[in-house]
Amino acid sequence: MILKDIVLLNKLGLHIRPAAQFTKIASRYKSDVFLVRDGMRINAKSIMGVMMLAAGQGTRLTMECVGEDEDALCAELMTLIENKFNEE
Amino acid sequence: MKSKPDKPAAPAVGSPPTGVETVMRGIPASPGISIGRVHLLISDCPQAEPRKLAPAEVSRELERFKRALAETQSAIERSRQRALAVAGIAVGKIFDAHKMILDDVVFQEQVRSRVTREQFSVDYIVGDILGQSIEIMQKQQGEMFRERAADIRDVRNRLLRHLSGEGDAVPNRPDEPVILVAPDLSPTDTLHIDRQFIRGLAADTGGLTSHTAILARSLDIPAVVGLGTLTSSVRPGDSIILNGNSGKIILHPTEPTLREYRAKRDRYLEFQRVLANLKDLPATTTDGHEVHVWGNIELPFEAESVLEHGGRGVGLFRSEFLFLTRETVPTEDEQFDTYDKAAEVMAPHPVVIRTFDLGGDKIHGSINLKQERNPFLGYRAIRMSLSRRDLFRAQLRAILRASKRGNVRIMFPFVSGLEELREAKAIVAETAAELERERIPHDPKAQVGIMIELPAAVSIADMLAEECDFFSIGTNDLIQYAVAADRGNEMVAGYYRSFHPAVIRMIGATVKAGHKSKIPAAICGELGGNPLATPLLVGLGIDEISTNAANIPEVKKIIRSVSFADCKQIASHAMHLGTADEITDYLTGELKKRLADLPIWFS
Repeated sequence: MILKDIVLLNKLGLHIRPAAQFTKIASRYKSDVFLVRDGMRINAKSIMGVMMLAAGQGTRLTMECVGEDEDALCAELMTLIENKFNEE
Repeated sequence: MKSKPDKPAAPAVGSPPTGVETVMRGIPASPGISIGRVHLLISDCPQAEPRKLAPAEVSRELERFKRALAETQSAIERSRQRALAVAGIAVGKIFDAHKMILDDVVFQEQVRSRVTREQFSVDYIVGDILGQSIEIMQKQQGEMFRERAADIRDVRNRLLRHLSGEGDAVPNRPDEPVILVAPDLSPTDTLHIDRQFIRGLAADTGGLTSHTAILARSLDIPAVVGLGTLTSSVRPGDSIILNGNSGKIILHPTEPTLREYRAKRDRYLEFQRVLANLKDLPATTTDGHEVHVWGNIELPFEAESVLEHGGRGVGLFRSEFLFLTRETVPTEDEQFDTYDKAAEVMAPHPVVIRTFDLGGDKIHGSINLKQERNPFLGYRAIRMSLSRRDLFRAQLRAILRASKRGNVRIMFPFVSGLEELREAKAIVAETAAELERERIPHDPKAQVGIMIELPAAVSIADMLAEECDFFSIGTNDLIQYAVAADRGNEMVAGYYRSFHPAVIRMIGATVKAGHKSKIPAAICGELGGNPLATPLLVGLGIDEISTNAANIPEVKKIIRSVSFADCKQIASHAMHLGTADEITDYLTGELKKRLADLPIWFS
């Protein structure tokens, strides 16, 4: 299992379109990925789950990747987050 | 135009359930009077009872889920296509979001595993899972999350309806003309409403600019919104009167009330028939002075409604609506699509596009705004555009691209002095040069005008007129800034008077300054749709009145019933009256003398 603390730096946070980008990547992998915010833990392959986190710009989250391809999954999601979801 | 008269309603007396006549007040969202029976539209499907499955039923149940998913997917796609066709990309995107929600793989997997494990019917499981999501989203702070909750609810209802085999029909569709009463109307409900059976709309929530209100106006259905608790106070089949002119709802009307309103409605319909005949006639006074009557729009498809009502131009396209249905900044291409649609429908008649009027009370999640102590005296409209060059340039490029037919004009809101006008014009010129270099078609001579809505702009209107192509007076803001009263604040709303002598003098001064530099002056604020104001505005020399599509025929009718000479006299007399009350009384008297049968006399 990989645990990463992340900060959302993109302007929109995890609103519907960024959330869709996130879940699209997550769904391509066998591993599970969860996002945790203030004790709320959601399956990040679910767009409704991700939207429910209500994570705006500057939100701190913990990301948990678990499974056989967790390294690749974690790396790809971290790239997306660091590139601020390619906004603008 | 409402050409078909309403079917007379059966009397309330003796029909169960008989209630006590009750009057409720809401916001008049679309004009007209309707009398009929309540049809409750609760598009929320009730949560199904948990029905236990026999073990052998499970695989059939999963098959049913799969089929319903596929059907709902294509139904959402059909809505998306329809939204794109009638309202453009911004509204279409609502249904993109619905698609993403339905395609949530975790949700789908959860349904399948719970059906298998718990052996309850799929309707119950779907309702249970999505119901929880809706509840969580609703608890979040912020408009955005409530909208998302509404999206999930819309998807949930469609999926449940496909599961039950009802398909995509609006639930309990009426089979006779009714007055639709709903807590709120979802995007799907509004998009698929059947105007043949809906004689009126009454909603618990919503304001003048809610989707329900905009749609009701463009479909010409009388509507009252913001009624609070109406749905919980009525039962299906209750007798109801809806007055979209005054915002009044009367439940369980007595026989005398019904008689009174039938007479009112018939006179109103008669008047509408008279107005319908004016559609293709110009708005010319009896002595031959022509005033242009145009429409204000928010959505591109409303341009058609303007034409249908006899408007020969759009005097105000409020571009901010592009922000209403979304969370991101609209791109240049999305904006182009929207502006171009309106310009195409209206061509060769003009479309005046006002650049974003955001800020003040119209804030938006995708633009970071600091909390301001006084947003109405703060960062809004052209001020925001000039400091957000990226947004402004993208918008100007989109507008200029849409100007390729030569019928698009640009208008800047909230100009307080020459500095902003010059700066904004310079950016228009740079943007046009850029398009020229890229060989993208546009109108190099597109007119550039300004809203006159600040007292400062009125004072220097002569200088502003030298440097722009037209004026358009935004009376709502002009009044509020002139008398320093927010009409939304009930403690001072009484100071907000449309016929304050200062307002009338300011309009007069603006027109004079414009004409001196040979540029036209329009009115695009609410005052333009107020029949009492029409003779006064004509008399002050206003060249163009732009108002909601539904008001156009009435304004035309008044103009065609008066002489320019009389109007000038009315204006000069009103200019010398000392108070708003005196002016209102005077204008009422003058209008009544000339037109005894206007809807305002019986709202």
